[in-house]
Amino acid sequence: MTATEESATSLEQTVAGATSSRFSQVFGTLTATMLAVFLLFALVFSPPDVSQRDAVRLFYIHVPSAIVALYLAFGITFVASIMYLRKGTDFWDLLAGSSAEIGVLFCAFMLGTGMLWGKPTWGVYWQWDPRLTSTAISFVLFAGYLAIRRLDLDPTVRSRRAAVLGIIGFLNVIVVRQSVQWWRGLHQGQTLDLVDSQLSGMHYFSFFLGLVSMTMVFGWLLLHRFRVAWLETQADAATLQTALAERQAEAADYTARPPDTGGPTTTETEGI
Amino acid sequence: MHWEFVIPGYLLVFGGLAIYTGALLRRARILAVRVPPERRRFVG
Amino acid sequence: MDELDLTPLDDSSGTPGGRSFRNPLIIGGLLLVLGFMVFQALTSARVFYRNVDEAVAERAELGDETFRLQGTVVTEPTADANGASVFIVSFGGVDAEVRHVGEEPSDLFEIGVPIIAEGHWEGEQFESTQLLVKHSESYVEDNPDRVDYELEETVDR
Repeated sequence: MTATEESATSLEQTVAGATSSRFSQVFGTLTATMLAVFLLFALVFSPPDVSQRDAVRLFYIHVPSAIVALYLAFGITFVASIMYLRKGTDFWDLLAGSSAEIGVLFCAFMLGTGMLWGKPTWGVYWQWDPRLTSTAISFVLFAGYLAIRRLDLDPTVRSRRAAVLGIIGFLNVIVVRQSVQWWRGLHQGQTLDLVDSQLSGMHYFSFFLGLVSMTMVFGWLLLHRFRVAWLETQADAATLQTALAERQAEAADYTARPPDTGGPTTTETEGI
Repeated sequence: MHWEFVIPGYLLVFGGLAIYTGALLRRARILAVRVPPERRRFVG
Repeated sequence: MDELDLTPLDDSSGTPGGRSFRNPLIIGGLLLVLGFMVFQALTSARVFYRNVDEAVAERAELGDETFRLQGTVVTEPTADANGASVFIVSFGGVDAEVRHVGEEPSDLFEIGVPIIAEGHWEGEQFESTQLLVKHSESYVEDNPDRVDYELEETVDR
């Protein structure tokens, strides 16, 4: 077991050098604690709902996932995309991309928990209801955003196209938000209202813990995802430089050498 | 009642977070090897 | 000459795994899915249901067309001769009789709950094949201990 322990420590050390910092470690510990407290309240301490019974517990993860994905994550992508189009700096581009990726993850959580909640309450997993349809469209738009970011294009062109889609995607989020008011559907209206909330006591507290812990998870992930995104650009630059140096050395080698000799030897080494 | 829907829902979220976090940290570890230490952190 | 030396670098410039080929396919697939969803948005999602009063008023025009009917359950369902459950839904002061064949609705189905039934008019009756419960956005804690305790207190006084 010493070998495993050793590799684990070496892994931690490398990671510590890569994307974690003193702040992210403290923040990560706090986040993990909050998640544990949240789980206790969500699954143990809070009582079931009079009509939905325990299915109400899905509310505590479904709604925070929705808020984090649609408003926080895609909202950051929206602002960062606008800033990137205006300033053209790496920071805004990487921030937009990092936030969108985590947003797509939380969007998947929202859709998954929503479907699992729909079956025991509505009686079906899925219906082409205005809110469900517009949310699914958001998911596809931002999945497309992530795909565009991986296209083999000129980096500036790629980032600009992604930024435009990031802005369009967020405009659709407004449609998602208003969908329960604009059109008739199966999805219930808004439960949370600053003035008159339809949630009380332990239900509200569990939801609140869910929102706080999910927001903290998002913050922690965003910090690390941004640092990974930065490492990606630096690794690309490093690879490019190494390759450049290699080619230059090759070229120098080639011109220094008489054209007749050394040809077959090069081919042999390339084969290995 | 309805725990058969609640449990998969929580597993989806917490399992998903665990898998994503694991993949993210692994990618960081692989990338960091390719980047010289002084350029690993983003500066303004 | 320098330019020629640089050409192969584009392939090795940190985008491993054939990004250039795979992603246009993924984007094409996503566009197809998006197209389907927009189609759903313009057809199903746009008029998701008709309220009982509207559906009754439009009965002649609707004919045997399939649509979704929304109303509040007002009577306890009763089983008819063929095993289908029959109950009355109401909206906007208009009643309609629903005859539901097919899967049982969710546990939340009861008198006073709004439902959406998918089906068509069969004369005066709405023949439903799918029954969805439109649950409300408010939640009430179920604290049996607390309720009992309060009741006991009231009884004591």
